[in-house]
Amino acid sequence: MTTTTDLTGWTGLQFFGRTTASVSHELKNALAIIKENAGLLNDYLLMAEKGIPLKPERLKIVADRIDQQTRRADTLIKHLNRFGHSIDEPLTTVDLNDVVSLLVALTQREVSMKQATLQLSMGESPMTVKTAPFWLLTFLGHCMTFSLKMLGPQKVLHLQVEKVADGTRIIFTPLSGLHGAHQGEFPGEAENALLQSLDAACHIDPDAAALLVNLSNR
Amino acid sequence: MRVLLVDDEVDLASALAERLDLRGIQADWVTTAHAALDKADAVDYDLAILDVKMPKIGGLELRERLHERHPRMKFIFVTGYGSEMDFNKVKCKEGETCYMVKPVAIEDLLKRMKELIGDIGGDR
Repeated sequence: MTTTTDLTGWTGLQFFGRTTASVSHELKNALAIIKENAGLLNDYLLMAEKGIPLKPERLKIVADRIDQQTRRADTLIKHLNRFGHSIDEPLTTVDLNDVVSLLVALTQREVSMKQATLQLSMGESPMTVKTAPFWLLTFLGHCMTFSLKMLGPQKVLHLQVEKVADGTRIIFTPLSGLHGAHQGEFPGEAENALLQSLDAACHIDPDAAALLVNLSNR
Repeated sequence: MRVLLVDDEVDLASALAERLDLRGIQADWVTTAHAALDKADAVDYDLAILDVKMPKIGGLELRERLHERHPRMKFIFVTGYGSEMDFNKVKCKEGETCYMVKPVAIEDLLKRMKELIGDIGGDR
């Protein structure tokens, strides 16, 4: 194994761990809400047994909450499952829009903990690229973390997926903190190793307040 | 006995507050640390139940700020498994603070509240 492979592998495992921990935390919250509201329904039933009349509107609110949280948990599990399968093929053809959508879903908690909002502009569909989906997600996950750090006071992060002459591009903007970023902060050693594996390029443009990731067609 | 619940999950905080209310325990809920600090300045709470992971100011920092302003207030942290490690970074003060893992059973929560406060009142 080369040092670059070791670093890429370590970075990937770290991202896998961080992401599954974050999504499982969200799942815990959904389950906690379901449990609490199921308990509340039980409380209403105990009150009814004591002769206190049930209020149908209260029952509906609680049942709706349980329904919403069940759907939330189901969606989280679907995303986690797709993420798990992203490592199945070392190299495969994917729709870049799907990969970026999954990234957005997986990093939702990270975004909300930063009190930020995310806007996604998809490119033409399908925007097929031949890539290693897991490593691409790992690299884009690093881009997301860096971008959230560089966000301006509005805290709105815009992600754009687009076709360019020799491939496809993902843009993270507006990163108004880029002028103050340390030289070499991004991409760092781990990100450069990932870029090398992906045959991709990354460019920071402080004047445009943007981080650009280019995936070649080769 | 008066309790303040702080959790950024609205449907969790509101349901738990209602369940405590049904047991005769006055419970208010808020979803941010800033709202909690304001609320605690306005109302004399015996106990605060805090989520560990919240945007901006998390439960651990909130506890410090509340304790500074209201030294008699007791605390229970509720956490997902993922944040237990974070909780272990701070000292758990015997008789003042304890923590529970989500999802929390109401009976266990009431038991913890009794351990911290003594007579919690209530009618069930």
